[in-house]
Amino acid sequence: MAAVTRLFRLPPSPIESSVEGRLFVFAGFAVAVLAIVLYGQDYVVPIAGVLVAAAGHVVSYRERNSRRTFWRQTLLATLVFGALFYVLSDSALALFGGILPQANFAILLVAITSFDLKTRRNCYSSMWISLAILYLAAVYAWDYAFGLLLVGWTFCLAAFWTASHLRRNEAAFRLPARAVAVAAVVALFSGVVWFVVTPQPSGAPVSPLVVSLPNFTSFKGDMESPALPLVQIAGDPTGATSSVDLHYRGRLGDSPVMYVRTGAPAYWRGLVFDTYRDGVWTASIRDYQQLEPYVPPRVLPPAPPDNLGTFVQTFRVLRDMPGVISAAYPVESLYAPVSGLREDAYGTFHTPEQLRAGQTYSVVSYLPNLTAGVLRTDAPLDQLPDHFLTYSDVGALSDRAIALAASVTRDQPTYFDKVMALTTYLQTNYRYTLDLPPVPSGRDPVDWFLFDVKTGYCEQFATAETLLLRSQGIPARLATGYATGDYDPVLNQAVVRERDAHAWVEVWFPRHGWVPVDPTPGVSPLAATQFPSHWAAGGVARLLPHLTVGAPASALGSIGALALLPAALGIAVVVAVLYAWLRRRRWVARRRPQPGEVELLRLYERLQRRLGRRRAPPETPLEYQRSIESALLEEVTRAVNEGAYARRWPEPRRVREMAQRIS
Amino acid sequence: MQEVSLQPRRAAELLERVETNVHRVIVGKDRVVRLALAGLVAGGHILLQDLPGTGKTMLARALATSVGGTFRRIQCTPDLLPSDITGSSVFNQKDLTFEFVPGPIFAHIVLADEVNRTTPRTQSALLEAMGEGQVTVEGTTRVLERPFFVVATQNPAEFHGTYPLPESQLDRFVLAAEMGPPTDAEALEVLARREHGDPIAELGAVIEIQEVIELQEACLRVVAAPAIRSYLVALLQAVRARSEVLLPASMRAGVYLQRAAQAWALFEGRDFVLPDDVKLLAVPVLAHRLGMRGRAKAADMLDEVVSTVPIPPLRQH
Repeated sequence: MAAVTRLFRLPPSPIESSVEGRLFVFAGFAVAVLAIVLYGQDYVVPIAGVLVAAAGHVVSYRERNSRRTFWRQTLLATLVFGALFYVLSDSALALFGGILPQANFAILLVAITSFDLKTRRNCYSSMWISLAILYLAAVYAWDYAFGLLLVGWTFCLAAFWTASHLRRNEAAFRLPARAVAVAAVVALFSGVVWFVVTPQPSGAPVSPLVVSLPNFTSFKGDMESPALPLVQIAGDPTGATSSVDLHYRGRLGDSPVMYVRTGAPAYWRGLVFDTYRDGVWTASIRDYQQLEPYVPPRVLPPAPPDNLGTFVQTFRVLRDMPGVISAAYPVESLYAPVSGLREDAYGTFHTPEQLRAGQTYSVVSYLPNLTAGVLRTDAPLDQLPDHFLTYSDVGALSDRAIALAASVTRDQPTYFDKVMALTTYLQTNYRYTLDLPPVPSGRDPVDWFLFDVKTGYCEQFATAETLLLRSQGIPARLATGYATGDYDPVLNQAVVRERDAHAWVEVWFPRHGWVPVDPTPGVSPLAATQFPSHWAAGGVARLLPHLTVGAPASALGSIGALALLPAALGIAVVVAVLYAWLRRRRWVARRRPQPGEVELLRLYERLQRRLGRRRAPPETPLEYQRSIESALLEEVTRAVNEGAYARRWPEPRRVREMAQRIS
Repeated sequence: MQEVSLQPRRAAELLERVETNVHRVIVGKDRVVRLALAGLVAGGHILLQDLPGTGKTMLARALATSVGGTFRRIQCTPDLLPSDITGSSVFNQKDLTFEFVPGPIFAHIVLADEVNRTTPRTQSALLEAMGEGQVTVEGTTRVLERPFFVVATQNPAEFHGTYPLPESQLDRFVLAAEMGPPTDAEALEVLARREHGDPIAELGAVIEIQEVIELQEACLRVVAAPAIRSYLVALLQAVRARSEVLLPASMRAGVYLQRAAQAWALFEGRDFVLPDDVKLLAVPVLAHRLGMRGRAKAADMLDEVVSTVPIPPLRQH
């Protein structure tokens, strides 16, 4: 038994006496809390946590040399359980309306345990919890500022290590200059090589070298329509709209709109539009079907042929939204906790009221088997959709646009290939941007997009594609909604944000119905829901918080290779510190304490405290013993001398016997 | 061949026997006696600095007699020649050959009295024998019998017609000690013992000369832990850092301090060195070899250093 406990007992950690080191531990925590404040938009618990932790650090430092008392440890443990109760109640019942209950829990944990930071290991534990807090913030972070926070935390860790470890060993910290230089040069060089070698998609060509700070993240304000930014509010009691105006565009923020727990990544399809007039999309078919809150499969259209099965999505609405059920298409069945549902002519469900923050609904959707091979063999256009004329109306599309569509699709053998040709043509020859100048008055937004600016956002792409397809006799319509969102591995769900709002095209295929197609650059042209294995395979990469290439890559495009400098320097510093640390590790091989050694020295310390005067540094144990009358001290001193200077430590059992005599 | 090594306890017993025996002649002076004996056990040589008539010769003789070794005395004078110490070849007229007549250096314990009175040339011959443990006379190297222990004395009060030993020569003595004046009680006791003769005549050997060699070997086996070595280095560094030190302690000083501390441990029957041993021996081992600036006293400075340098942590990382 004793052997087992010895096996699992950690080696003793020295008491941390470096004030600077402790300061950096606290700073690391402050950095993590700052991240939560910035990205979690939560203030009360984080600020309280920092204040409590500051007090805790002071207490820990002052009492670092005294023993831990039973009652205080009990109190701290109770508080930890209290924090646990808080996180459970807040996440299950939303008692305090916490956005990030798990982050608040971690903050409370650090605040409580900061009263118990005695040893160096305690300090390291505190740093690791800070890292966990930072990680939770990373789930919501979406900019370079977060990288700065991460660098700040890393600096705190390195500084704590330096202050604590090197100060204690009275070793001077010397930066290995050569290693730093080599690492910096290699990092810079490989960064440049990587930048040069990485293929740049022609859909998003690299901008000329412009030295500027990335400002794509600066927007934090509201959108013109906070709920569904593509849609102008137009008097509908549910908040849903009946039009999309290409002349206007609300800028999209980063705040989450809803969480989706889903079995497969998909586009969350909302409103669909069929009529385009003067830059404005409207829905002309006004047939509604009234349904119960639970819509069973038998009420809905039959399953698509050769479907791969179904998957469940659970949506949690985070803010008030129009009463439109966003879900993967086609729907097999659904349940929304409302008084009733309406299904419109486009297969979208509407709730009688606005969707409120905190509401949840579940949808079961089909995984349609839509691949290029399957669609290519679809029958020719022998079966037309209802309202065929509406879906073929090109409005005021210019002749040169029609000619363009004809030239692109001319040599394509099949119906499907024509669709794909147009889609990929738009993807490769037009650039995506959110910074679009206003449409000149009198111009048709589509014609202006196709032949003048040649840049646009999803609505421009989708509108152009829809009209071009229609001009070639292919029925199509505009679908709006949200992209999948970012997978959050902590909560195991996708976080859908404002900026995930999206528009794409639905194309009629006689055997498969409406098939989603996405002409926006950088995404799969065939936008049908993917088989979940794709989602699972991406899981490893998604475990790293938001290493999405898009934003950093576009930033790189705007600031050029200079953007590599901070990254390269960061890598170089980390490598250098690691190198120095490894060198040190090799030089100072730690000796394992012998049995009885730790116990005896601990007893010796205790005895000194008990005797009221501690041994002065220049005083030998023998001199100390001679200055104080104590039979036990005499015995302990003899043992200490034997141990420290002859390496003959007493049996732990003997130490315990001596320890019993102390009181 | 079975080697019987001396246990620390047995070593302490032998040393105590010698000390007791010496104290039959030398009254008091426990510390000097023990230091002299420690010098012998450490395998080095010692320097006694004091006025004439304080018992330096008596101590050396008593020590020699107690360990059953041969004892010679060299009275150093300005006209003393190296061959007077090492010996020389003498023509034997009977069988017409040169015969080597060994000098007084060929003994276990040699008292070099008033070593600063003789010329540097003779001094260096003596000191070379001390360092090497052998003498070379007329091309023939002769190894001195172990143990070989030189007690040199120096009269610090007289400067007229003396050749003070330079620091480099002083460095060869493992330790230096002063006899110091006797207390009244000691003086009375000395007079009482001498009332009816000289007690040294009745003194006999209490251990064999072979046992001295065993003691020296036991001294080598005494453990000086890494912490002790760190402490030694810290002490030497601290001495070097002192502004009043002109000529700092050499590495040899550190080696001797460690060796002397090992010998000192044997007196208490320990097989390991304590920092206390080092502290206690710092002045005897280091003081005489330091070159000091102005009128600063090495012993005072060393006392201060020893009382301020922290001993290394008990737990070694």
